[in-house]
Amino acid sequence: MEVARVTELPGELRYIQYEHVLEEQYLPAIRALISKDLSEPYSIYVYRYFLYQWAHLCYMALNPADNSLIGVIICKLEPHASHSPPTHRGYIAMLAVSSAYRGHGIATSLVKMSIDAMAERNADEIVLETEETNLPAMRLYERLGFLRSKKLHRYYLNGNSAYRLVLLLKPMSLGEEHQSD
Amino acid sequence: MEQHAPQSLPPRPNPSHPGVMAVDITDNFWAAVKTLAPGELVKDGHFTLFESVGALEIMDPKMDSGCLAEGESLDEEYSVTRDLLPEEVLGIMDQLLCLEMAWHQGYPLSQTLLTSVYVEVLTKTHPTTIEEVTFTGSSETEKNLPTLLFALKAYCIGLLKGCDFVNELVKDELYYEEEDFVTNSFGRNILLYDVELRPVNDMLQKARAELRVMNNKPSKDIAMALDIRLELRIAFLRAMELSALRTANPESLKMPWIQMHGLIEHIKKQHSLGKPVPDAFSTKLQRRLASTLPPRPIVYLSFEETHEHFRRLFKDGKEIMDVLKYSDPQSLLTFVSTFQARKPQPLPCIRTLLQNLMFKDNVFLGSYTIRQLIDHDLSIVSLPCATQLDLANDTIEVPTDPRHRTSNEMTIFRQRVEECYLDVFRIFCQNRCRVRRTLCHNIQAWDALQADVEEIDTRLQELLAEKPLQTESGSVGYSLPLSSWAYLYKLRQMEWIVQLGFELSVYQTDELAGMYWYVNYLAKTRAQHGDRIKTFVMRSLTASRASNSYTAAKDREYMRTLSYIRATMLDAACTWEFADGLCCLYTVLNRLGLIKSPPRPYSNDALRYEIRMKPFMTIGLPQLPTFDEFTKATAQPETAVDALLTYAESAVGGAKKGYEALSKMTDGQTFSVGCHGRWLANVKDCLKAAISAGIAVTTLQKTIAKVGDGGELKLKVEMPEAGKGYHDWWIVPKIVPTG
Repeated sequence: MEVARVTELPGELRYIQYEHVLEEQYLPAIRALISKDLSEPYSIYVYRYFLYQWAHLCYMALNPADNSLIGVIICKLEPHASHSPPTHRGYIAMLAVSSAYRGHGIATSLVKMSIDAMAERNADEIVLETEETNLPAMRLYERLGFLRSKKLHRYYLNGNSAYRLVLLLKPMSLGEEHQSD
Repeated sequence: MEQHAPQSLPPRPNPSHPGVMAVDITDNFWAAVKTLAPGELVKDGHFTLFESVGALEIMDPKMDSGCLAEGESLDEEYSVTRDLLPEEVLGIMDQLLCLEMAWHQGYPLSQTLLTSVYVEVLTKTHPTTIEEVTFTGSSETEKNLPTLLFALKAYCIGLLKGCDFVNELVKDELYYEEEDFVTNSFGRNILLYDVELRPVNDMLQKARAELRVMNNKPSKDIAMALDIRLELRIAFLRAMELSALRTANPESLKMPWIQMHGLIEHIKKQHSLGKPVPDAFSTKLQRRLASTLPPRPIVYLSFEETHEHFRRLFKDGKEIMDVLKYSDPQSLLTFVSTFQARKPQPLPCIRTLLQNLMFKDNVFLGSYTIRQLIDHDLSIVSLPCATQLDLANDTIEVPTDPRHRTSNEMTIFRQRVEECYLDVFRIFCQNRCRVRRTLCHNIQAWDALQADVEEIDTRLQELLAEKPLQTESGSVGYSLPLSSWAYLYKLRQMEWIVQLGFELSVYQTDELAGMYWYVNYLAKTRAQHGDRIKTFVMRSLTASRASNSYTAAKDREYMRTLSYIRATMLDAACTWEFADGLCCLYTVLNRLGLIKSPPRPYSNDALRYEIRMKPFMTIGLPQLPTFDEFTKATAQPETAVDALLTYAESAVGGAKKGYEALSKMTDGQTFSVGCHGRWLANVKDCLKAAISAGIAVTTLQKTIAKVGDGGELKLKVEMPEAGKGYHDWWIVPKIVPTG
């Protein structure tokens, strides 16, 4: 279904960091916004898994008129050790902007805020996956400096493949030296 | 983010078991819960994202398959013994065919064949013999099934048994569960694993016979259509059964595949005679499975798509039987790599069947030992007529005898390389994304292997009293034939990794100059290495000719190696020239601003180089160029645009000539025996890509000449859509005037 796009944003959007006290007010809207693009909904545990542990890496774009949710980004940041050398790896798990408000750089602002937050917390790298058909998302991330590092065959339930995108924030060789210290 | 939930969980505990004491914990639970705020998360360190994705919310109809709407019943109310019209039986068979193909493509049984009420009823009692596979639940009443229903039953059983063969085949070989294929049968004997093949075949034949003599016969066309569908099931079972007979004549193993290729065309023509029965399929059946999966929709492939996929499946099945016509390991590698490069890629069942034909029971192609394969390969690549490969060495029992010790060293060598070597063949049987990813790991193994094998070389050169080679330009050192062989394989794999990066659209447009530079660097290294091997083969040839024992057989072996080196060096030269040309072309396009780089505020070139080259960073030889070397070699800041384009023109021209020369060589000369057609088509696609690159360079040169220095070029660059260029490994831009 074609969604009518707003030509102008309703004034300066409010970008705020998520906090646990906002769960009742915003979690239903966050779930609704994100599950729109999913073939199968995530259970509430998935949201809480991220939001409870990494509320400081989740940002929301709100409509200044009524504080309703327009966009959201959900991330995590933790040590990653499945391959050597281990890194402090940020992960952008979910990003969604209400379709009527797309094309105004809201997603880019949200991604930048979360990259800044993860960089401040000493992330070595930030990774994510995106559907191979989602060209706008890939363009967004690649404009910021992400590279496609690998393609993942039939990664999604709908049978589509994905690209892993990586943004390296610190040289890997340095990370190795820190490890051996 | 990742959407996969775990597909299979251990079976639910049976609470009525006498050893289980049930305790009501409701009160404790409520008391504990009251101490938590809503949304507060209590989890231990082992509760990962994976577990949270697998969690379900009870009573949410999108997650809870047992959640019923008002007045909805838990089970499907469709009766499998209801009367069906002949066209409905036909319609159901064709619906099943579509679901079967969806399963082949990687969707689980729960979303495909197990949505059929007929399949569900036949398999719900865990049958272990064909008598237990029933629609009615009783073997007595089952004897009186109407002919049409019996035909449908036979069809279903034949279909499931065929899928069982496929499922077992896939499980035996290397594949990726859920990514390529889902072998999960949800704790049930859905695919009739325990049911023997012979009675299934008998039942299919009986169904065909009954249809021929039935009263109230359906129209002739429909009767024929039903018969052909039953025949397809028989042929499929035959094809799978025969594929275990690898020593039989490959032509006879092809027969059922050829037969099915013909049948599927009839089936396509007859499809419109059938009438679908949508009620006979339901996702409700998922509720009966031992699984915590949320309800998922039936995967519908159109009949046209289904037909096309089956047509290719049968064609591929026939084609891979040619792998059994073994000629030599290099041709075999060409066979596998060119077969798997086809678009769309062969289905998982074909890819695993190919592995099965090659490797089953560690007997290569049903006839050869792994040792024979490795020795054959060595004798072609770097060790023609070599003492190291002399079988007579094995018979010497005196431990101090150099021949005995040589034989020992070679045994150590084979043990060391066997796994890595066979992996190269296996890796090519994976999906393309995995081929690239797995090669990235494999080159690390080959890097270590090369170093280890060099030690064996060193010990052997002492045993064989080899002298270092002196040439006019100084010492070239020792021949190191085993590690040379390993190095060549490693280099090829490194090139494939980068080339697959192009194929899979991993690189952004402004990265192409650099990545083609790196391909050129690798291919040049391979050509130089080929030259080194050749030097030592020539020394050995000269010495051998001078001896009394030189024979025609030895001459053939030497000539074969020289032929291999010639083909390798020509192939490497084509690659390096073409890559060099494209690198220069893209560098010019970057420099002229016709290709623009994104702003990338969070990154810099050096950090991206680290990500891009991560697979090669730890490789000892050839060492990864430093970032500065790479940047300088790619951007060539001291070379003017004109000069770069002149260079690109001649490099691409050189590649063109090289591909033309390659395309005129025979299958024996190019080690494409048994797959020369596919190999040649590949070379011709490279040639076309080189020609179009030449055109791009010329267009650019002419326009620059016309507008002069600093004039506006009025050009734009059009990049081919992924997979739509002449060759996936050679991304050639189109230069188009804008005004």
